[in-house]
Amino acid sequence: MYQEKSMVNLETKENHELFNHVDSIIKESWAKISPFWPLKNLIAVNPMQGLENLPIEEALVEGAVFFEQKEFPKPMALINRQTIKWLQAFFDEGQATIGMPLRKNGLYNAWKKLAYFDKQIHGGDCKKKQWLLGLSKSPETAITACLLKLNIPKESQSIFMTLMLTTLPGWASHIKYRTHWTEGESLHPHPISAVDYIAVRLIITSLLWEEAAELIQWHKKAKELQIKKISPIKVIEKNETDYLLPLLNKLDDQKTGESTISDAQIVFCIDVRSEPFRRALEGQGQYETFGFAGFFGIPVRIKNSITAEIYSSCPVLLKPQHTVNESPFSSQICAQDHQGYQKLNTLKALYQSLKYNFTTSFALVELLGFAAGFWMALRSLTPMLAIKYRRSITESIRPNVAVSPLLENIAFSDQCAFAESALSAIGLTKKFSPLILFCGHGSATQNNAYATALDCGACGGQHGASNARILAKILNTRKVREHLNQAGIIIPKATYFLAAEHNTTTDEVEIYDTDTHDIAVEKNIQQLKDDLKAAGNLNNQQRSKEMGFNADKNKSAKHTKLRSIDWAQVRPEWGLARNASFIVAPREMTKNIDLEGRAFLHSYDYHQDLDGKILTLILTAPMVVAQWINSQYLFSTLDNVAYGAGSKITKNITGKIGIMQGNASDLMSGLPLQSVYRSDKEAYHETVRLMTIVYAPSGFIDKIIEKQTVLQKLFRNGWVLLISVDPENTNHHYFLDRDLTWKKRKKS
Amino acid sequence: MSFNSMIAMFHVDMLSIIMISLVSFIGIVVCFFSSRYMKGDALYRQFFIHILILLIAVMLITIADNLMLFLSAWCCCNLILARLMVHKSTWKAAKASGRLASRNFMLGFSFMILAFAILYKATGSLSIQYIVHNSNDYWATLMALILLLMGAMTQSAIWPFHRWLISSLNSPTPISALMHAGIVNGGGFLLARFAPLYFSVPKTLNIIFIVGLTGALLGSLWKLMQHDVKRMLACSTMGQMGFMFVQFGLGFFASGLAHLFCHGLFKAYLFLASGSAAQEKRLDLGYPPDLISFLCALACGALGSYIFAIINHKHWLRLDTSLIMIGIVFIAGAQLALTVLRAASVKKFLLAMITTAAMATLYGANVYFFDLILSPLALIQPQPLTILHVIALIMLSLSWLFILFFKSSKNKDDLSNWFIGPYVKALNSSQPHPDTITSYRKEYEYVSGKIHG
Repeated sequence: MYQEKSMVNLETKENHELFNHVDSIIKESWAKISPFWPLKNLIAVNPMQGLENLPIEEALVEGAVFFEQKEFPKPMALINRQTIKWLQAFFDEGQATIGMPLRKNGLYNAWKKLAYFDKQIHGGDCKKKQWLLGLSKSPETAITACLLKLNIPKESQSIFMTLMLTTLPGWASHIKYRTHWTEGESLHPHPISAVDYIAVRLIITSLLWEEAAELIQWHKKAKELQIKKISPIKVIEKNETDYLLPLLNKLDDQKTGESTISDAQIVFCIDVRSEPFRRALEGQGQYETFGFAGFFGIPVRIKNSITAEIYSSCPVLLKPQHTVNESPFSSQICAQDHQGYQKLNTLKALYQSLKYNFTTSFALVELLGFAAGFWMALRSLTPMLAIKYRRSITESIRPNVAVSPLLENIAFSDQCAFAESALSAIGLTKKFSPLILFCGHGSATQNNAYATALDCGACGGQHGASNARILAKILNTRKVREHLNQAGIIIPKATYFLAAEHNTTTDEVEIYDTDTHDIAVEKNIQQLKDDLKAAGNLNNQQRSKEMGFNADKNKSAKHTKLRSIDWAQVRPEWGLARNASFIVAPREMTKNIDLEGRAFLHSYDYHQDLDGKILTLILTAPMVVAQWINSQYLFSTLDNVAYGAGSKITKNITGKIGIMQGNASDLMSGLPLQSVYRSDKEAYHETVRLMTIVYAPSGFIDKIIEKQTVLQKLFRNGWVLLISVDPENTNHHYFLDRDLTWKKRKKS
Repeated sequence: MSFNSMIAMFHVDMLSIIMISLVSFIGIVVCFFSSRYMKGDALYRQFFIHILILLIAVMLITIADNLMLFLSAWCCCNLILARLMVHKSTWKAAKASGRLASRNFMLGFSFMILAFAILYKATGSLSIQYIVHNSNDYWATLMALILLLMGAMTQSAIWPFHRWLISSLNSPTPISALMHAGIVNGGGFLLARFAPLYFSVPKTLNIIFIVGLTGALLGSLWKLMQHDVKRMLACSTMGQMGFMFVQFGLGFFASGLAHLFCHGLFKAYLFLASGSAAQEKRLDLGYPPDLISFLCALACGALGSYIFAIINHKHWLRLDTSLIMIGIVFIAGAQLALTVLRAASVKKFLLAMITTAAMATLYGANVYFFDLILSPLALIQPQPLTILHVIALIMLSLSWLFILFFKSSKNKDDLSNWFIGPYVKALNSSQPHPDTITSYRKEYEYVSGKIHG
């Protein structure tokens, strides 16, 4: 990140120390900023991630001081506007046709050259222009020069730089994503480093506001005022108690019994939207369902062999180890599909070539005016018809073809390891049904800038079908099964693994029945398909009710479908709103309870986890992801402007990467108003922290927490609540206190 | 007031009908769209009531013959629009957008009052139809026409009255759609209403042409430079309005109205669909093209422009202002062919010809259709070609070639150094008014009061 440093001539020891100092305060200032992913894969993040090392009560105050301020020293507005202007230009991923020049030199060096010509920044003042010209090629040196020019005392430099970032927090978050979270991706053509941005921001500030040191005083005052304000923590705590105690009571009534072999076992993502669907499906027949992270433990990059598009399909905390090609079955279909893809691209190119040029765009509007009018009316008045037409047109050019993963890039030993760890993680190591379905998920919405926020977080904001297909294919491989046999996992010969994808917007489940299998299971598959459909209809009715639409099954199904395909819809589905708890337990413990789609369910059998390895993984990976999601919903609801994205009604997509409000603004990180509010005034999401309930003895959990600093941080600072329900001792619940000791509470 | 004198205040012709169909069509679509899009909004009901008033006002404008009625409806329409643009007055930036637009509208309104006063003084009539056919005082007419042009320029955001439009994106999306498809067209309508007078003083047409061309080129340039989807659309509207003025200035009012109509539909669609901007992947169009494909493309363009000319009973290369219209079809045709020809083969050449021919036929038929239905109004009178028009045609062609040949990634870096200064200048000049930018995050206040879930 700091390669530039080597180019600088470090002559004196003093200089060297200065650089170390600058380096360390740059690091310190970025620590407060949480990353924010671009629209192509919106990952839920805690907007207070940079403050997680504080107890939540203090973090709330600190967050308010940094992110919720309404009054600023006046010159900051000007500085912000100029910063936004250039960041919009630099981070444009394909909106502008005539883009910012020199971007391949990186933000600092490109901008420095352009800034010399920017009258809005130097006002044509020759002295300022000379100063700009004289700035070093190294951003660190420029930072030092700015701090000197602004007379920032050494002890305040760290806070001053932090304020430079937190006064435009959304853009800073995007930069944090680019500088700290894109290592696994291919090299970006427009490089940016954490130092680059601070240098640019400081130079703009130096030129536009000589007395910028006043910002430090302003911050101190804001801090004093904030301490007197009422903290929202009381409301949050009350919401938690109101939710948690009745839930624990219900959980106590459940009993585990000897289970028989079911007709099919279906593995869903832990996503809260799986829960009501699982319950609906279990009601349809002899089905056993499981909850597992939606990437099914397969950390891969997926490459489409036709479009050559490539993306990581795993949690952002992991680095994908393999690239798996997805391609149609035969080379003939492959060629056909490629041709269809080319045809579609040519049509798009015809449109874009007229649109993004001088003169030709005048002809374009007359060519497409009537068609656009017709299409717009159709989409607004009868969305169902519009979607039908569009599908039949695109399908006539490029028919849908099934794809299958090519496993050649995953070594056999890795395949076996993936298979074994996936099955043991959810305790599915015996009593296999004849049919086992891995069900990933994804959403289906129209004209929705936030579409990927509704997709699978465990797959890095992508659809989960690809991972499911890979795991099913691995487990259908005879050699892999032989290997599992040796490890003690004996899968009957007749058992067949299938992949599927749950559409979380419509509750339709598409099954990818691609491998060869016995004719005997054909009947089971058909039965399962019917039951999935029935479960979907049942859940449609439930979700329609949540949307304020009470009707019978048929109407509800239609209503749900309509929301999914309507280009004017701002609430196509509720996503993970109202999420509250993370339950790590065998499914029997929750099977008969209506959890209202508010619980992440991870299957776990403590008896199969003697060394605690599985629970460690669950608590440090899926639970952390759940906490990110929970915090994003919590803070987006608490203050939708400071931590959320504001209303969808006035949103404006910039650079294809993010949202601004109106003409221009901070990059609006977080969830939009419509994702967490029923209306302008009424919240839909309930502000609670993640409540983790683990079916394991408290002493057993202690051993895990002892070794994991992440968990200590989250529990000690109150970001997550932990409750242990001991399967052996049935009289008490154990609540983990902030000092990491357990408090007994008698079951009622 | 008697019934007859009431009736006399109105005049309905094909121009009114075209405008009413456009505005009511877009109005209905926008209302259907908004009925879902605005759900949950605290001002939901008020929003629709305002849209309804706005639509009525626009319709009144299009059928009003009485100057006073015309002015009142015009004023009402713009006031309501400014209100709709702000929507939530708690948001400072939106309020500033509204203020900026209001100021611009007031300015335009004063131009119009002045123009109307002069015309009234010259003819003694309040009837627009009477005035346009009976205004004989040359200087008074000239004065009035220039003032009306300025009024039209403010309404259609022609440079230098464009700032309100590119600062208007704090509006709810459906309002932007309505505005860019309906209200900005007011300027075009105004000019078309007074077209007979403009024909009577042909010099004014050249002025319209020049301001239109400036707007068209500047709008196009800014559009290509914008980084957010909505400002790109706004700058594009500015350019398209400029092009409409260009057509007016050429003496082709009917074609200008065709453009107004089609652009309205197209731009409304693009605004409503702007939520998908991130999903649109920009394709590599293979610039710069090699010489052979470029020459083939030019041949296709020639074919296209020939077809267009035939459909519209124009001579292909007659030396009047129709040449510019044909020139634009030629450029568009060549561009389309070029995209088809990217792989350069004979088989593709045929396909390119067919594509271009189809485009020219569609384009020609579209213009022909509007010419036909507007023919009773005699809105087409080609003007003699002057050096001005030739320069314009050269500028339109060169700007097209610039994107084709010079913006390509290969030689961009050599160009960079002379390119930087003008680039920064153009970027800065296309920024919205500073007060209309939300400089701090918390300044965005769309929901009043803080609610806890």
